[in-house]
Amino acid sequence: MFLQQLINGLMLGSTYSLVAIGYTLVMGLLNLLNIAHGDVFMFGAFLGLSLAMLNMPLYLSLIVGMIGAGVISVLIERLCFRPLREAHFLSPLVSTVAFGILLENVATQIWGSEPSRYPQTTDVAQFQVGPVLISSIQIIILATSVVLMVALDQFIKRTRTGRSMRATSENPQTASLLGVDVNWVTTGTFFVSGALAGAAGVLTALVYLQIVPFIGIRQGLIGMVAMVIGGLGNLRGAMLGGIIIGVIEVMNDAYFTASYRDMIIFGLFFLFLVIRPEGLFGAEEKRRS
Amino acid sequence: MSLGRKTSIFGFVTFSILILALAWHTPVLAQSIAGKEIRIGALFPITGHGANAAKREAIGVQAAIDVINAQGGVGGVPLKMYLEDTASNPQEGVNALRKLAADQKVLAIVGPHYSSVAESTFPMGNRLKIVQIAVASSKPGLSEANRPYAFRNTITEDKVADAVVREFKKRYNIKKVAIITDIKDAVARSVGMQVLPPAFKAHGIEILTGDNPVTFQTNDTQFTAQITKLKSLKPDGIGMGALGPDALNIITEARRQGMNQPFMSTAPVHEGDLPQKGGKAVEGTFSGSCWSPQLDTPESKRFVEAYGKTQKKMFTSEFTETPDYYPVFAYDAVFMIAEAIKKAGVTNKPDDLTQDREKIMKYFTNLRDFKGVASKGFNEAGDGIKDVLVDEIKGGRWVLIKSK
Repeated sequence: MFLQQLINGLMLGSTYSLVAIGYTLVMGLLNLLNIAHGDVFMFGAFLGLSLAMLNMPLYLSLIVGMIGAGVISVLIERLCFRPLREAHFLSPLVSTVAFGILLENVATQIWGSEPSRYPQTTDVAQFQVGPVLISSIQIIILATSVVLMVALDQFIKRTRTGRSMRATSENPQTASLLGVDVNWVTTGTFFVSGALAGAAGVLTALVYLQIVPFIGIRQGLIGMVAMVIGGLGNLRGAMLGGIIIGVIEVMNDAYFTASYRDMIIFGLFFLFLVIRPEGLFGAEEKRRS
Repeated sequence: MSLGRKTSIFGFVTFSILILALAWHTPVLAQSIAGKEIRIGALFPITGHGANAAKREAIGVQAAIDVINAQGGVGGVPLKMYLEDTASNPQEGVNALRKLAADQKVLAIVGPHYSSVAESTFPMGNRLKIVQIAVASSKPGLSEANRPYAFRNTITEDKVADAVVREFKKRYNIKKVAIITDIKDAVARSVGMQVLPPAFKAHGIEILTGDNPVTFQTNDTQFTAQITKLKSLKPDGIGMGALGPDALNIITEARRQGMNQPFMSTAPVHEGDLPQKGGKAVEGTFSGSCWSPQLDTPESKRFVEAYGKTQKKMFTSEFTETPDYYPVFAYDAVFMIAEAIKKAGVTNKPDDLTQDREKIMKYFTNLRDFKGVASKGFNEAGDGIKDVLVDEIKGGRWVLIKSK
């Protein structure tokens, strides 16, 4: 049973990672939190759902879910961050809280407050590997998450746009003097951040074939914890942070009781903030800068 | 000529009788009910969790009001609904209750929806001295702890559980069960922790999870860990303390992991279309409630018709098209209030507001023989008196099980 639970934890954690990356991208760039990020995740899931209802194949729902969530994320940047650049540093944070609530209520209007269901379009294959049971959906989730994470990692490391993103996050003024279009980079970063959350949304909804407009709230909080555990602004840290939380959560539910779950996860969050605020990977980052 | 005279005499006599009758009746009517409208409060989560169910409840209230008003209201005065939103939040619920009681001066309130909100609004209702009739809350002991103004036109889950467990055991030959329960939602938690264990034990069924049921939190998105654990216990059947949406996820995941044991729960699983959304996975799942659209009584048919008519005017959406039992209880609650107003001598004068509210409370305290769609009044604890109907999912819908 332990091995099965470990696999369960990895699946859950990989979707947390995708959300945590989105936070980390924005945090790294603007040093600000986007509280509405969890709701972007939710919106992506619903967009994917609507398309699946129209009998679109899975990869298409995934792509449209990602693009839609990316666009909403860009909208958040334009409405909640850009007009408030000169305002008090807490203003964008508060405006994203409002935008998140707005998104939840828009989703409630469109899709209703009762859970909406993904249609079962493809037959789910089950693979028995020794004592472990894995379904084709779980494999899709894990593979998609890993591919997206590796692609992003390489994109930031190797491409010109990635370099511009890193430069902007280091120092926007200098980057702009060196010919980087800071506005464009910011827009692009928000788009990527939203698209990943959208992918996580579609994938999460796939497992249970069912979503409500309020799933974004907890998912967002967990993403934030994963970011802190991994190290603020550190992408690989966020990936690992998500996986760690997923495994902890599943193990807790399997061997203790679900009422301890949030206590343990948010206790860990607190502990990291107090004892190791730079997170698991933070130290390395510091040395480099 | 003589015929004409006869007619006119006949006419005169009829006319005089009518006048006399009116003269005899009118003062009584004028004395009994004052004002332009009788205000009925409705306290439901129109936004947030449970919004769809709450909208159906509000339609149930309005449908009853429409029926009563079409028959001339109560003592010639029409009823009017004052709807306030609890947003599924205890704090908001208390604010909304204060607004209904103090600003809108309603006579009595139908609502709230959730036990978790009622836990806050019931004590406040006692302080404000105003009747609340909850129509979904079914956590045991909640009305009893908040006498005299708290009423629930629902029956507590222990009564439903007993009936369901009996049929469940009979059908599937259940000897040992495992329990999985929500630990966040008030009613689902109490079903899993307090209601199901004694119900199983009373029918001689062994509980494999003992005093530590498998747990989850409302609206969890993944149940892999819980199901892997349930599967390892190898039960004959599974008892769930869960709301409908979570039950759907639990059963779907169980089937995915290759479990084919039957599931059962109590009334809250009816929320959110489990049979339609669950498909083959949820077939054979047992539950119980107090009303079903299949109930073939004249009152029930009249309700369905009234609901349909009102639903076209308010909260029109696909989520409110089909009534479940919550709007039935809300509909009955309005008729109970109307009966109390008529029979307990409520005046509806602004100066008598406190006494009027008290009269309604006292009337409900002894109401045992009400004839509603699915309501018979209240017991000493303030909970509804109702018949339990056990049902199972068959062919994509809840079907009543005929028990003898």
